[in-house]
Amino acid sequence: MILSIEEVTIRSQNKTIVDQVSLSIREGDWYALVGQSGSGKSLLSQSIGQMLPPRLQVEGRIVFKGQDLLSMSAKEIRRVRGKKVAYIFQDYQGSFTPFRKIGQHFHEYLKVHGVTSKQKRYDQAVEALESVGLEEALFHRYPFQLSGGQLQRVAIALALLLTPDLVIADEITTALDSVSGHRVLEMLAKKQKETGCSILFITHDWRHVRRYADRLAIMKDGKIVESGGKHKILDHPHHDYTKQLIKAAPILGDGLRSGLDKERKA
Amino acid sequence: MKRLPKKRKQSIQVGMAIIFFVAICISVLYAFVILKHDPYLTNLSGRLQSMSLLHPLGTDHLGRDVLTRLLLGGQQTIGYSLLALVAAVIIGVPFGIISGYKRGIIDRLFMRVADGFLAFPDTIVAIVLVGLLGPSISNLILAIILVKWVNYARLVRSTVLTEAQKEYILIARMNGLPARKIMTKHLFPHIIGHVFVMASLDLGKIILLISAFSYIGLGAQPPMPEWGAMLNDSRPYFESKPELMIYPGLAIVLVVLLTNMLGDYLRDRFDVKKEVQS
Repeated sequence: MILSIEEVTIRSQNKTIVDQVSLSIREGDWYALVGQSGSGKSLLSQSIGQMLPPRLQVEGRIVFKGQDLLSMSAKEIRRVRGKKVAYIFQDYQGSFTPFRKIGQHFHEYLKVHGVTSKQKRYDQAVEALESVGLEEALFHRYPFQLSGGQLQRVAIALALLLTPDLVIADEITTALDSVSGHRVLEMLAKKQKETGCSILFITHDWRHVRRYADRLAIMKDGKIVESGGKHKILDHPHHDYTKQLIKAAPILGDGLRSGLDKERKA
Repeated sequence: MKRLPKKRKQSIQVGMAIIFFVAICISVLYAFVILKHDPYLTNLSGRLQSMSLLHPLGTDHLGRDVLTRLLLGGQQTIGYSLLALVAAVIIGVPFGIISGYKRGIIDRLFMRVADGFLAFPDTIVAIVLVGLLGPSISNLILAIILVKWVNYARLVRSTVLTEAQKEYILIARMNGLPARKIMTKHLFPHIIGHVFVMASLDLGKIILLISAFSYIGLGAQPPMPEWGAMLNDSRPYFESKPELMIYPGLAIVLVVLLTNMLGDYLRDRFDVKKEVQS
């Protein structure tokens, strides 16, 4: 087990947002966390890096490689963040500081985690950019000069730069068009094969789950209603909510019926 | 009259502001380099003289050269205003950033102090402080700094509060950057534009404040040349020599107007969103 979340509860002053959730991710797993907006998936993922807003309280244990992340001091957790656990977000435009060049993001990130030689940082960053199919020239651009797909690939390159053990991908394709989204996910899958990292993949898109996930958990109103291997759940869903979700998902090939027949008849 | 397009109007404004600015720089330089008269030298036999080659703007009630005093007064007024402004910014900005980013007890404590200051109008707080400390220009500056830093801290805090929720800050934190780095490298450049704009708009206000306080005798003390104090000095001679009041008055109006123009211009320039869109 690389990460196990044990009975984690997140609450605000008057509401329980995540209720006694437990799940565990194995090494090299692509673990999908599926659920509607507002089901608490993102907050759960943010609690892994102690990133929750201060008004929310967390209980329970999040054990990452034998250490409880929730009881770590601010200094200790900072060493985990970025280096061992990396995040990729949905909002690619907002993921980069607008007035800093792409390269500055890489430099700063590597510097904080102990790469002191400037040349080495540059080489490593360019290598990372090229590994996600981007040119070196992007290094000197500002975030708003890049397209959404490019930015999201930069985000992946940045997240995987220090070969973390766990990558948390929070709805990373939601804001992209389907072609760019597909390319980004292919890239992520390829990088996962290369580095062997685990991925906690938060999504509400069943197509991605079908295609990439090894195991998955379904979350509703702050609780996990069902979890297990992908095929087990997709083929034999137990919980009503899971059945409902699967039924509601669009399936390729069986799209909307053409209106031509109707037209011909008329 | 046909209304000028906005862009044209703006460039005229900026042009005027720059011309004024250059003019002021030259005059200040003049006061330094070609100063012929001692601004403090009284000459009771030559008091209240009219314009002449020797005294381009005449002499005041103690026979001192008005132009010299006006220019030197400009140095004082603008210089002290800038000093007060810079000090207020230097104190206010770090407070605002830390308070807005760290939240918690520091923030709550700071907010109470700020609310206390903001409950009273600037002028009243300044009057009370100067009254307590005794009337002098340095006490006035101190009072202005004490009154103004809160505004900057508040502005910065509110900007930081909204910025800190954004994902790039979240990402920076997730990437393990220390708080100090996030505040200086990621938040500071974002707010400095807002601070610049507010500061340039404030400069005029501070100039007015210093002049007003000097006028009522709570700021610059005689014989120091200061525009507000000069206004007050020439008050008894208003009927016989109105120009003695008009010169410093005009100087105050022009400089305040100029700083406001610059402020407006900067506000437009620093509108980051507009720039990205165009």
